[in-house]
Amino acid sequence: MKRYALRQLLQLGVVVVGISMLAFAILHVIGDPVLLLLPLNAGKEEYERYHKLLGLDKPVYVQYWKFASRAVQGDFGKSWYTDTPAFTLVLERMPPTLYLTSAGLVAALLIALPLGILAALKRHSLVDNLCTMLAVAGQAMPIFWLGIMLIIVFAVRLKALPASGYGTWQHFLMPAFTLGAFLAPLTMRLVRSGVIEIMNMDYIRTARAKGVGENTVVVKHAFRNACIPIITVLGLQFGQLLGGAIVTETVFAWPGVATLTVESIRNQDFPVVQCAVVLLALIIVSVNFLVDMIVGLIDPRIRLG
Amino acid sequence: MRRTLVSGSALFLLLALGCPPAADAQTRDDTLVYALQSDVDTWDPPNSVLREAIILGYHVFDHLAVRDLKTRRVVPNLALSWKALNDTTWEVKLRQGVKFHDGSPFTARDVKATFERVLDPTKKMTARGNHAKIKSVEIVDDHTVKFHTDGPYPIFVERLTALVMASEKVIKDKGHEWMQEHPIGTGPYKLVKWDRKHEHLLVRNDEYWGPKAPYKYVRIRIIPEQATQIAELISGGVDVIKAVPPDQIDVINKSGQARTASSPILRTAFLQLDQAARSGPNPFTDRRVRQAANLATDMDGIIKHVLNGLGDRVATAVNPMAFGFDAGLKPYKQDLAAAKKLLAEAGYPSGVDIVYNQGPPTVEPGLLQTDEAIVADLTKAGFRVKQNYVGDNTVFVARIKDSKAGPMFSFSWGYYSVFDADAILYDIFKCKETYAYYCNPAMDDLIIQGRSTLDQKKRAEVYAKAQKLAFDDAAYLFKWGLRGVWGISNRVDYQAPPDEVDRMFLVTPRKK
Amino acid sequence: MKAVSARGEVVLEADEPAALRAGPPRMSLRRLWRFKWGVAATAIILTIVGSAVWAPWISPWDPLSVDIRHRLGPPAWMDGGTRAHVLGTDQVGRDLLSRVIYGGRVSLIIGVAAVLVSSSIGVLLGLAAGYFAGRMDWTIMTLVNVMLTFPFVLLALAVIAVLGPSLVNMIIVLGIADWPLYARVIRAETLAIREREFILAGRALGMSHARLVFRQILPNLVSVIVVIATLQVARVIILESFLSFLGLGVQPPTPAWGNMLGEGRVYMLNSWWIATFPGLAIFVTTLAINLMGNALRDWLDPHMKL
Repeated sequence: MKRYALRQLLQLGVVVVGISMLAFAILHVIGDPVLLLLPLNAGKEEYERYHKLLGLDKPVYVQYWKFASRAVQGDFGKSWYTDTPAFTLVLERMPPTLYLTSAGLVAALLIALPLGILAALKRHSLVDNLCTMLAVAGQAMPIFWLGIMLIIVFAVRLKALPASGYGTWQHFLMPAFTLGAFLAPLTMRLVRSGVIEIMNMDYIRTARAKGVGENTVVVKHAFRNACIPIITVLGLQFGQLLGGAIVTETVFAWPGVATLTVESIRNQDFPVVQCAVVLLALIIVSVNFLVDMIVGLIDPRIRLG
Repeated sequence: MRRTLVSGSALFLLLALGCPPAADAQTRDDTLVYALQSDVDTWDPPNSVLREAIILGYHVFDHLAVRDLKTRRVVPNLALSWKALNDTTWEVKLRQGVKFHDGSPFTARDVKATFERVLDPTKKMTARGNHAKIKSVEIVDDHTVKFHTDGPYPIFVERLTALVMASEKVIKDKGHEWMQEHPIGTGPYKLVKWDRKHEHLLVRNDEYWGPKAPYKYVRIRIIPEQATQIAELISGGVDVIKAVPPDQIDVINKSGQARTASSPILRTAFLQLDQAARSGPNPFTDRRVRQAANLATDMDGIIKHVLNGLGDRVATAVNPMAFGFDAGLKPYKQDLAAAKKLLAEAGYPSGVDIVYNQGPPTVEPGLLQTDEAIVADLTKAGFRVKQNYVGDNTVFVARIKDSKAGPMFSFSWGYYSVFDADAILYDIFKCKETYAYYCNPAMDDLIIQGRSTLDQKKRAEVYAKAQKLAFDDAAYLFKWGLRGVWGISNRVDYQAPPDEVDRMFLVTPRKK
Repeated sequence: MKAVSARGEVVLEADEPAALRAGPPRMSLRRLWRFKWGVAATAIILTIVGSAVWAPWISPWDPLSVDIRHRLGPPAWMDGGTRAHVLGTDQVGRDLLSRVIYGGRVSLIIGVAAVLVSSSIGVLLGLAAGYFAGRMDWTIMTLVNVMLTFPFVLLALAVIAVLGPSLVNMIIVLGIADWPLYARVIRAETLAIREREFILAGRALGMSHARLVFRQILPNLVSVIVVIATLQVARVIILESFLSFLGLGVQPPTPAWGNMLGEGRVYMLNSWWIATFPGLAIFVTTLAINLMGNALRDWLDPHMKL
């Protein structure tokens, strides 16, 4: 087990380094950031002065080495836009995004679990397909369409919820639901197949023979069986969630790290992008690591493979 | 396993509920809410390229001079008077009895420190270029300053409105990094807190030397999505929004909760034609083709039908509100027959293929619709237009700077709030400037002449000549001066500002 | 296919997935009725594909023809609507129905092409990882993790900023973004299959790696691949709209469901039809694809964990 953990940790490290290198390379390919840092009417000497100031006149691998050696100490440099440490900027914006993605995951589970179980218990019937449709609907509607519709209905027409922003629990409801609807289909699918598998197993028949309520048995054991793929997929989804978070955060004016990353990418604010990418990667990879550990504990075949 | 799941969910919910509370001591009646589409990068205005920073700067800081919104002239603010002693020296007298938010008095030392900080070549203050003509600042006494300029600097007075005054004490004691997040100015509001990309909270400065702001608190919320901004306005979450697209005006006006107001603004829109061949040889190096393009389009019709009248036709790219604007010059009138004839004369009897690089409607709402109308018109005259739309403004502007935007691209210019023809002629019409795709030595001469004298009458004549030249030479495809549209809640009174700077200290509650 | 040992014993277990048994599943009218939802969904998809293919014949207007005087016209059944523009017109007067029909072409082409790209890459790498295991597995899985953790936005912005926004580049971006999913699943399945006796038997007989992988292992995975690929088409269509939201997708004036939605989102407050109809198109298409995928899965291999 220890060897497995070590191997995974090593992979974790390589992945994070790989990501930071890839991000670095891509940023330098996109274009010249200085063009965006100066006002439209700045002259040529200003450009050259800036290039030197930001160290952009050195070759790429030198720049990467400088970045990496400082990054491991926690120093990601200062944002080129705000002159504040990139690390603080990114860390400040992490909690809203983490809260949002967690709430989204919870919402997804709340949607997917009952629908998945219901669909499995009544497979191939109208109910099964309706449940699938409902779950898929959330993903089939582009997030921003769903988000804006919700705002129009609940904030403008009904005036029941604040249209956007961050601060109270009411501000959480629509964004969490929007994000959760996005994640629901895949989760529901797994719950459904997990439950179906259980239904045909021996110990179910035993339970039936014993006279225990069939549905209770199914649900109890289905949970356990579906857990593994669900956890795996949720772990996987965490990375995909960021994509959904970008749109949700934009539509609902949610001050999270996803929008910070997109803006910094557009503004070519290298230090902030690097920092955000690396920190997010660390979180995602850690989540995946935990998932792999849990799964490896439960099912030895996977770790020996 | 199930228990873990349950406790896990409980943990999530706890996290979700335990988020920061609203923490507001304000009430709806004493708080004004203003929405911005993107947040500032810093509260140190001379260190930012964003218009949002200028707007916020007006609330917490003061400038030496400001623009009177009704007469559009530059009037005293922190400076009481100014006088040109000679071609390269200006003397400015300062207001007395002004205090910074930290209690220290505003004196000539602060003016000197502010300018020297911005002009310092070892720092990377982005506003440096705007004030580089100032060689040095000399303190005459506590309330008098002398500016020494590098040659005649006719827009000196205009530029007095372009720099906020910071405190020498803060610059020296607190340093650059502190100043990015803690603005200490002399202005009508003070910054209470700043949640990056989320919102700012300002509180009224009760010791302000000028008129007291009606609202005690101002909340500036960052709402990137335009549809959300409008939804917030009509559901009461926000009081003032800007840059409302023309097509959404009726949504706001019909809502019963808010209304729209428009004002001509300093920004002019145009299509740049690559006369200078920056992107390589192309049909627009021939004047007849450029004129044909101008004659092909029915700009008046587009303003009427597509913008619902929200645009002011101009003959060149000089804005009607800018000094030097020649009202006597009439713009091109649509004449498809003449356009076709010119194209044939230029060697394109069966039409010509061109690529049109289009940018996103970031500063010009309604751009997409008007662009389509322009293309339709051009096509009628024989231009076969291949549209190349770039949805990302960053990428688009980078292409322009990189000389890759020819032969034709959409653009607009905000003049950096300098109401002077020089502010556009230099950057857009002068040979080899970053954004200029036009090169004409005669034009360059006129531009230099315009900036080399302080005689306003002479300058007006020079600029009239420059505009005639631009018109006759059909330097670009000219469009119109933009009109900004603001959405305003029915619970407040507010005038749309022609310089695009929203001043929340001028907003008053509506009498019931 | 049964693997028989030298002594004639049947070595295969009886609960092998249907895919390892001989021949494709039997078709019959009764079987079709069992999958009626899937059949209906397939019919819908065929209609959509058909309308995309025959777009020039069935579309009432040219999707690019601008008519400024009739912009923002509502659908025919509303006040101010006309029969000439059944679904209304957009902000520059183009007919919405025609744009939705033509938009289907672009969205479907992108969907299918991107899936072809990503499935090819993903399946190949997944096979390699699962079959060779050891260091190859580790390397490929690391790559998979990097790709999964890497922000899609950065990738999209990079590719499109450098290469320019075009149909081909979008297919490349979406193809690169999605292959890890296939790789993961195929790797897991390959890992399971390679322990089977018939594979070991094949090695013993001296069959080459390539032959074993492509002739013996891959055919068993076809069902999984087909089901995933089908479902991924839906996902790619959604991703395309996401890219359009960022301004990086198919650029106007070319109609694609994604960019129509993006352009129309500010109009949802008044001229709601501009965004809603392409949105509905995406919705119906992805729903149908999902139902068809479900049915495919149940038909080919009811035990599939997807």
